[in-house]
Amino acid sequence: MPSACPPTIGDFSVLPVSIPPLPSFPRSAVHYVYVRRNAPKVPTADDSRSLFLTNVPVDSTELHLRGLFAALVGSGRFESAAFEEERKESYQASTTDLQPASLVRQLAHSGNKKRKREEDNAAERAEEEEAARLPSTWTRPLRRSGSTAVVQLADEKSVEQVLKAIAKIHKSKKYPTWGENVADRVPALGSVWLKAHNRLSYPDKEVVQAAVDAFSALFAKKEQEAAEMAKKLRGEADEDGFVTVTRGGRNAPASRNEAEEAKQKMLDRAEKRKSELTDFYRFQLRERQKEEQADLLKRFDDDRKKVWAMREKRGKFVPEA
Amino acid sequence: METAPMKRRKLGHEDDGAEKILKSGASTRFSRSRAFILEADELLQEVQLDHTVALDGVDGLLHRIKGLIEAIEPHAPLPIVETTTMLEKKSLLKVPFPEPRPAETSNLKVSFAKPQFNVVGSYVSKTMVKTQKDHTVDMVIVMPAEIFQEKDLLNLRYFYKRAYYLAVVAAALQKDLSSEAQLSYDYLNGNPLCPVLSIHPTASQKKDNNEITGPLDYRIQIIPCSPDGFFSKTKLNLGAALIRKTGEEAADSSPQPTPFYNSTLAAEGCFLSYLRLLRKTEKKCAAFRSACMMGRIWLQQRGFSGDLPDGGFGHFEWALTLALLLQADSNGNATLSASLSSTQLFKATIQFLSATNLSEKPYILGAGKADLESAGDPGPVLYDASRQLNIAFKMSPWSASLLHQHAKWTRGVLSNNAVDQFSPTFILKADLALHNYDLVARLNYDTTFDDATSVDSRGKAWQFSTKAYRVLNRALVDSELGERARLINIKVPACPAWPLSARPSWPPNSTVEIGVLFDVVNMSRAVDRGPSAGPTAEEKEECQRFRQFWGEKAELRRFERDSIRETLIWNSTTPFDLCEEIMRYVLGLHLRIGHVDKELTVYGNGFSALLPLKPDDGAVFIAAKKAFGTFERDIRDLEDLPLHVKQLAPICTELRHTSVKPPSIRPSKSKSGPRPMEAVISFEASGKWPENLVAIQRTKVAFLLMIGSLLEKKTAGAIKTYLGLEDTKCETENAAFLDVVYESGTSFRLRIHSDLEETLLERQIKDKTLEQHVRTKATSSLATFKRLYTNLPLHNQSVSTFATRFPAFSSAVRLVKHWFNAHKLWCHFTEEFIELVVLHVFLTPYPWDPPSSASTGFLRALLFLARWDWRSEPLIVDIGGEMSAAERVAIETRLEAWRKLDPNMNHTVLFAATSQEPNGVAHTVLDGQAKPSKVVAARMTALAKSACWLVREEGVGLNARRLFVPSLKDYDVLIHLSSMVTKRALRTYSTDEPEEASNKTRSQYKNLDERTGQEPLPLAQHPAEALFKQLNAAYSGPLLFFRGAAEDTIIGAIWNPQLLRRSFRLNLPTSYKPVTQKSDPDEDEGEDLVAVNREAILAEVARVGGDFIERIDAKGL
Repeated sequence: MPSACPPTIGDFSVLPVSIPPLPSFPRSAVHYVYVRRNAPKVPTADDSRSLFLTNVPVDSTELHLRGLFAALVGSGRFESAAFEEERKESYQASTTDLQPASLVRQLAHSGNKKRKREEDNAAERAEEEEAARLPSTWTRPLRRSGSTAVVQLADEKSVEQVLKAIAKIHKSKKYPTWGENVADRVPALGSVWLKAHNRLSYPDKEVVQAAVDAFSALFAKKEQEAAEMAKKLRGEADEDGFVTVTRGGRNAPASRNEAEEAKQKMLDRAEKRKSELTDFYRFQLRERQKEEQADLLKRFDDDRKKVWAMREKRGKFVPEA
Repeated sequence: METAPMKRRKLGHEDDGAEKILKSGASTRFSRSRAFILEADELLQEVQLDHTVALDGVDGLLHRIKGLIEAIEPHAPLPIVETTTMLEKKSLLKVPFPEPRPAETSNLKVSFAKPQFNVVGSYVSKTMVKTQKDHTVDMVIVMPAEIFQEKDLLNLRYFYKRAYYLAVVAAALQKDLSSEAQLSYDYLNGNPLCPVLSIHPTASQKKDNNEITGPLDYRIQIIPCSPDGFFSKTKLNLGAALIRKTGEEAADSSPQPTPFYNSTLAAEGCFLSYLRLLRKTEKKCAAFRSACMMGRIWLQQRGFSGDLPDGGFGHFEWALTLALLLQADSNGNATLSASLSSTQLFKATIQFLSATNLSEKPYILGAGKADLESAGDPGPVLYDASRQLNIAFKMSPWSASLLHQHAKWTRGVLSNNAVDQFSPTFILKADLALHNYDLVARLNYDTTFDDATSVDSRGKAWQFSTKAYRVLNRALVDSELGERARLINIKVPACPAWPLSARPSWPPNSTVEIGVLFDVVNMSRAVDRGPSAGPTAEEKEECQRFRQFWGEKAELRRFERDSIRETLIWNSTTPFDLCEEIMRYVLGLHLRIGHVDKELTVYGNGFSALLPLKPDDGAVFIAAKKAFGTFERDIRDLEDLPLHVKQLAPICTELRHTSVKPPSIRPSKSKSGPRPMEAVISFEASGKWPENLVAIQRTKVAFLLMIGSLLEKKTAGAIKTYLGLEDTKCETENAAFLDVVYESGTSFRLRIHSDLEETLLERQIKDKTLEQHVRTKATSSLATFKRLYTNLPLHNQSVSTFATRFPAFSSAVRLVKHWFNAHKLWCHFTEEFIELVVLHVFLTPYPWDPPSSASTGFLRALLFLARWDWRSEPLIVDIGGEMSAAERVAIETRLEAWRKLDPNMNHTVLFAATSQEPNGVAHTVLDGQAKPSKVVAARMTALAKSACWLVREEGVGLNARRLFVPSLKDYDVLIHLSSMVTKRALRTYSTDEPEEASNKTRSQYKNLDERTGQEPLPLAQHPAEALFKQLNAAYSGPLLFFRGAAEDTIIGAIWNPQLLRRSFRLNLPTSYKPVTQKSDPDEDEGEDLVAVNREAILAEVARVGGDFIERIDAKGL
């Protein structure tokens, strides 16, 4: 099988990786990673020196990939790897996570002036957020099968070299081995991994307490900022001269809950007024009776339809033997 | 039953069909009964035979037979013995004399003369249905009066003559018909007094029976009978003794009445009279025929037929009963009106049968007096007064009770307008002993029983069964000892048809089958209190009777309030064992069965033996509940909590009597860390919760930490608490739980409910300005939230209520769960769903009662799963018992809507709604994914179907284990987990370094090992479970995994056939390898094909599992 492997597929280079046999599955296999230059929809500065990988093995770690690239082009070229899940996570965290949800949009609308200050605070805030994070329960995450990763190399030249090395491999048939010289440097899988998971599921209470405390501090700070900003926004006109209308009285923005309660109360009152007037007039009564009759007919028709449907399926009307 | 016709109202416009039915009144009110009528009509059309096609050529054959019989040469009376010998020699056949055969010295004279012919039964009335067991055309030949004498009613004389007559007819027909038909003797309705000639045309045999359109496989029965009214009916009354002993035997005993013999003889003269009655009724009442067909199907689905072993109540008896009910009495008033519709007639007959237990109280139909007093104990009586015949003479006391019970159950369905009435009544086959009875036993009688005094013409098996029934009935059913059983049924072996040249071939193994239906509450009683031993004569007499029946087992005991009573003490504990013990004792005592152990084999207990928990282990669950009570008190007593505790609700199977394994009230030296029982805590409403989902989760963590430290402080060492983190991806989900471990070994897992979370999620769902994926996420989070904090506590509450209400429920649930587990379906179903299925079987048990033992509950649940068409039917469990029709319709509509929205069933598959949770997906959709998926649900149905098939095939002797053997060959990949490594992974310690290598050399001296004496951490989840979840998350595309509960060491998997090959794209659903296309260049030119890289995937699995996986077997690699 490996002999028949094409060197490229689409615009991807095929990188075969040989997988050593294990006692539980004594069979050597070849895994295929597909590699190309990274070209995301939203370009970034580092695109020219990064590679896009798809179909990375589920047990990939940065060390594994480092080893793999070292086998291809020698050590020193590999810088870092970002896996699919991690990239998604960071994206989500930035949009919803630690922001008080009700204020996200207001912050987004708040214009350029604010953003500058945001950037100043970014580094400090990232640190705070890190402190507020709860500890992970796994020593090592698994990747989804067939998932992607972006690898950053030292420079553009390394990218060229890697692609060339891959092409060469197909001729020499000397595939790099997965997990070579890595096994003792990454956390083990198997029972150790599972036991560690159980152990990590019960972190020290002090650690958790500290994380929770850090979070509350951070949250309080953000909430205060948001409140201040909202207050400021109330009177301020934007570039086009419009003033954003926000809820609340003169003194402070209203709590969302209170607003909803008030609305519910109003609805209830309307409902009650309506219900007092049903069956009040004779025509209402008559109409209701008419409706009931129609309903009865409709249900009869429904039943008939159901029976027809059952007949179409057959077998429902034949007593079981 | 039916509502009175509505007042007629004038309607301006013309009536169409719908309105006609609306106005006919009977069906105005309820949608269900309307549906029932429509469905019943449909059923009749479906089963009706097209007589011209199906029974083509019958008439011609009948005419030929008539001609052949008419051509037989009559002869004058000749001595029986010589004539018989001559006939047997000449025609090479045997005369089917009833036992005892005529004596060699008999001076009876037999003769032959031309009979009258008539065709009777369902052939003429055209009430045969396609699905009946065999189609017979009954041809009656009325033997002329001149060959009989008045005294022939005595001592089987009539039956000897009848047998001879039949043999002559058989000899004549054999000559001419043997080439085109198979002739054999059979008993008319299994009655050994009345042999008949059965003609089975070979032409019809060839036809495939499944082919419904073509001619049928039919038989013609030739039934000789006596001329109408030849024997005086008064002499044939039930009390008459017509079999008299001769010689000295007769002198010392007064003759016993022979009710069965008399009724058979009376019935011999009634064929034509009944034929006339039925024809008359058919003319008078248009719906009569249809009602008879419905009755026939109803009886057939319950295993009843006119044959003696099948209960002796078949379609003929049904038709007679109905006809007599329609007939006017002397005042001209009929019980039923001839203008009723067929469903109404059917319901009325069911009503009639359910009102009277014929074996307890005789019922007299029609005008006229019946002399029933002199009869002694004639068995069930349904007396046709005008013909002076007991229509139910073929019934036994037990079959009468069974019929009564079935009619009562059916009446129950028909009066419950909320549920499907049609299929339990007509479609479901309810004749299996294992479905019907909680205990089934086989009893040998041959070697042990000989009762010379009895004169029962039905044979030894019947004499024995009657006696056994009397004994068992008194011991188990009678009110004297508190009604341990609701029903006892006995199945007597039947005699198959036999060739003309042989004697009847009774089955060689002489066993009868006894089925017992428990009354669970009474059956589990170990001490019986008999009559009190007082000084009065009455009391003494009663005690005497008691002692006579119970023998040495009866002893005197003193009870509270100084009452001294006769008492029975039994040694067993479970209902099943108690029943067996009592049966063995009384049968041994009264039937003088020497080695009851050998003669009596008991079935039905095999299932409960499979479970680690015995049915009477309710105590551990009660202990778990008590422990939970303590825990709740401890929590409520905490004083420094900032909010007031509103509720602490259990949400786990251990606290609702339904876990397969006993709750871990762990002795301290257990092999694994504690497995906590889960609960949720909710507090009074508070405005202090932050208005942000992530912040709420963190607040909960802080709250849990606080509860933990308060608990530890308060109890000073008796309680240890551990804060555990959930294995979640997203910060808005519940982040943590608190495990509380008591010194005694019980442990609980606590999660906090915050109502603000729900509001926030709902707000996110409604907020149209948010991104779609956020709203989808919020929807699934809300579903998870509702399930955890609303549905599960309610479910827990109601299920534990039902576990107390139905004693058999808990163990039935455990059996069904065990079945899911054994077939590796466990990981795909929530336990709540399985509980709902079993609950459904208990709450709508039609056509039976709620199961009274684990095995019946289990088998009926399987039957339900096999028959459940989940594609179009929702499972509706009416927990509150007061669901309205509108609510049910709403649920059905919701399912329809789901199916329209998602016709491929990717998101919702099974739909299980309750009155508490009408959305129907709380327990079948988890995290936005159907649980189970369509493939797995189909597998469940297939497995249930084959299990039901096995139950039917194997019958009573079924080996319970066979239902629980998984078929591993169905899987493409088998992953064997190492049980040793699993066991080791069950204990982890807080001092372990998570990063350290496996089992770092521990000190070989226990006192130097730091872990000695340290409590292991609780299990956040079972390690095998954790691995399974990780694998599932990584390979949800290419592999579908199957696994049982935590202890299952073999994971099965199949490859997803849709993903095996595809063209290369950027986002791959799994690991693929390039395929070279040299082999077929025409196909998919230019496309880069890739195929699933199976070896690499399995190698990955092996790496992930490490030492946890012992070996991976893969098919086709």
